[in-house]
Amino acid sequence: MLRSCAYEKEVMEALKAGHWPEGCAPELRAHVESCATCSDFVLLTQAFQSAKSESVQEAPTGSPGLLWWRAQLRRRNAVTERVSRPITIAQTFAWIVTSVVGVILIASQYGDRVRWASWWAGLEPAKLLHFLSGSLVKPDGNLLLIIPGLGVLALLSGIVVYLASEKS
Amino acid sequence: MRKDDTTGEYVIANVEARAALRADELPMDSDAFAGFYQRSAPALRAYLVRVSGNHALADDLTQESYLRFLCATWPEGGEVNYRRYLFRIATNLLRDHWKRRKETYLEDVPEAFLAARDTLTDLDSHSLLGPAMAQMRPRDRQLLWLAHAEGYSHREIAEITGLGAASIRLLLFRARHKMARLLRKQMATDRRPA
Repeated sequence: MLRSCAYEKEVMEALKAGHWPEGCAPELRAHVESCATCSDFVLLTQAFQSAKSESVQEAPTGSPGLLWWRAQLRRRNAVTERVSRPITIAQTFAWIVTSVVGVILIASQYGDRVRWASWWAGLEPAKLLHFLSGSLVKPDGNLLLIIPGLGVLALLSGIVVYLASEKS
Repeated sequence: MRKDDTTGEYVIANVEARAALRADELPMDSDAFAGFYQRSAPALRAYLVRVSGNHALADDLTQESYLRFLCATWPEGGEVNYRRYLFRIATNLLRDHWKRRKETYLEDVPEAFLAARDTLTDLDSHSLLGPAMAQMRPRDRQLLWLAHAEGYSHREIAEITGLGAASIRLLLFRARHKMARLLRKQMATDRRPA
């Protein structure tokens, strides 16, 4: 059961001010002797104060100068991490978009029944030169528009994400 | 360092400028911090030593508390509030330590288990408080120390420990009652002739 005593505050103030027991009225001292709550309070406060004065004699290890320096370093690291976070996010996003574009491209080529294996087997330097020059001179309209278009899209998406996360 | 450098130096300069800006926002410089440390560290360490029962852990947590304090946004209201904030950081660190170590909540750790493992009783075998503290739950040790050694009010203890002020009143009442019983028992044993 939670019981509080009307004198508790007075006893607490006397202990805090260091007036206990000599600086207190005899009535208060008599009350503490008869009141279990107040006598517990006095006993504990005296025991803890004595333990505290014993413990504070031991100087803490570590110098404040070193702590200050370590804190500066930690703050700087946190700032660096905060600054580089949007770049990392944009980079990751750009990688994901590029990978997705690559997968879509491969899937579409497979769907168009391009036989990569036979194309690879029949690849000769002369044919390769012919293919490259032919492709450049007579471009396949679809591919030459789609690939750079998707590349630009990936790049712009990365920039947009970077700017958005930088702003936030 | 020039702004038009093509290397990463400009980025580093920018980072340093931001860090310096934050350092300027701190309400005290390194000398003032040294003074604050000298005044507050012994009491903080005493709290950690008595509650954890481990000197090495108390030293580590004292340093970590100050590091986190310096990196955090400081509360308004001067040194009294800084001290209270430090105790709050230390209390959280201690709780995290126990959670990690025991993989359970501090409140659920049986006092006998901790008492057997820690060195509280070795701290001051001649003193009255050590053996009695070893038999208390860690949370009760925290509450009792904050109330009786540091003189914090229920509201302040609630702020430090993150518990409700109404719970503090009840928990402290029970802890005080148990501690007083243990201290009286200890005193009676000490008085008994060998």
